Amino acid sequence: MNRAADEASLIERIAARDMTALRALLARRQVRVFRYILRLVGNAAVAEELTNEVFLEVWRHAGNFDGRGSATSWLLSIAHHRAVSSLRKRCEESWDQEAADALHDMGDNPEVAAQKADKGAIMRRCLDALSPMHKGIIDLVYYHDMSISEASDVLQIPKNTVKTRMFHARKRLSELLKEAGIDRGWP
Amino acid sequence: MTEQAAADVEREEIEKLLPWYVTGTLDCAERSRVESYLARSADACAQLGLIQAERVQTVLANEALSLPSAGSLDRLMASLPTARPSLSRRVTGGSLFERVATAPTARGVRWAALTTAGVVVVLAAAITCMLFRHSGSYQTAIGQSRSDGVSALIAFVDEARAPAIAQLLVEFDASIVDGPKPGGVYKIRLRSVGQSQSEKDALLRRLGERRDTVRVVLPSRD
Repeated sequence: MNRAADEASLIERIAARDMTALRALLARRQVRVFRYILRLVGNAAVAEELTNEVFLEVWRHAGNFDGRGSATSWLLSIAHHRAVSSLRKRCEESWDQEAADALHDMGDNPEVAAQKADKGAIMRRCLDALSPMHKGIIDLVYYHDMSISEASDVLQIPKNTVKTRMFHARKRLSELLKEAGIDRGWP
Repeated sequence: MTEQAAADVEREEIEKLLPWYVTGTLDCAERSRVESYLARSADACAQLGLIQAERVQTVLANEALSLPSAGSLDRLMASLPTARPSLSRRVTGGSLFERVATAPTARGVRWAALTTAGVVVVLAAAITCMLFRHSGSYQTAIGQSRSDGVSALIAFVDEARAPAIAQLLVEFDASIVDGPKPGGVYKIRLRSVGQSQSEKDALLRRLGERRDTVRVVLPSRD
């Protein structure tokens, strides 16, 4: 049985109130769900609570899983919805300003000065500084290995919008890198 | 549309597909289209390296994050018995007559409650036994602390050969415990290291200085 079919079978067992199946799904997916949410909301305590809410929702509504997409897409879709609802309390523009301020503070201590020599560290800081919308699509594609179709399921947006969002996220990353002194020659 | 405008549209369409080309998740038709374009565009080829770098750093950024605490799992499991299952499937199925005929009676509800309480007690006892059997105290696998060394995430340079990597691992008394993750990132365990944070940092710094083999190395949280 492949992983997708195996996880669909776990969801079916969870719908039948099988707690062992839930524990198995938690063991496999809790860390990924937690990290996806943490990258979006930026607070570990909030991310833990939201992660628990995701698995509670799975426990309560496993019977609603229709099996058309993968179980992982379904889980991350719930996670995305929970994280976005939590983020709505904060204004997008002010978040961007906080991120930009954090980037401009980069030269203020010796540790950061050492990091400047490391392009990888700078890129990770720029990735952290992306808006939740851009960070979300980047993580889904690069870390969670989602196809266009799977990302479309998770984010509940058309496939063309997925492609465009990823394109703009990469462009924004290039802009932040340029501000930090790294010109990649693209776009 | 002019020829130039058509070329610009095609370039942008292909650029939008490149991240999925690098992660290997395009369908056959899209993959063929990208490969055909890459064969005649050096600019597009150059982007593959940028995307690979973005991917490696995204994986490292995610893997360097903390893990959920053991207490978080406790809270979730404790809240489950009170979490009510979705009734959507049962309610939507069958005619009104069937639903009325199969609805539980007051006596049936009492028996169901007693049976459920019994099952919950048995399950709680079984889970408690399982949790305490090995360690004598509750601790989730992902929360276990490891005192015998330090974990790190590492990506090797493209030119690194297997013998050079093996030699490096022997030299640092390290072994690969997980991977490759997306972007060619591995998790390794370095055993011979002192307990202080400064000693661990120094060891990882020395490993990172081996630029002939190591592209990047970062401490891992677990």
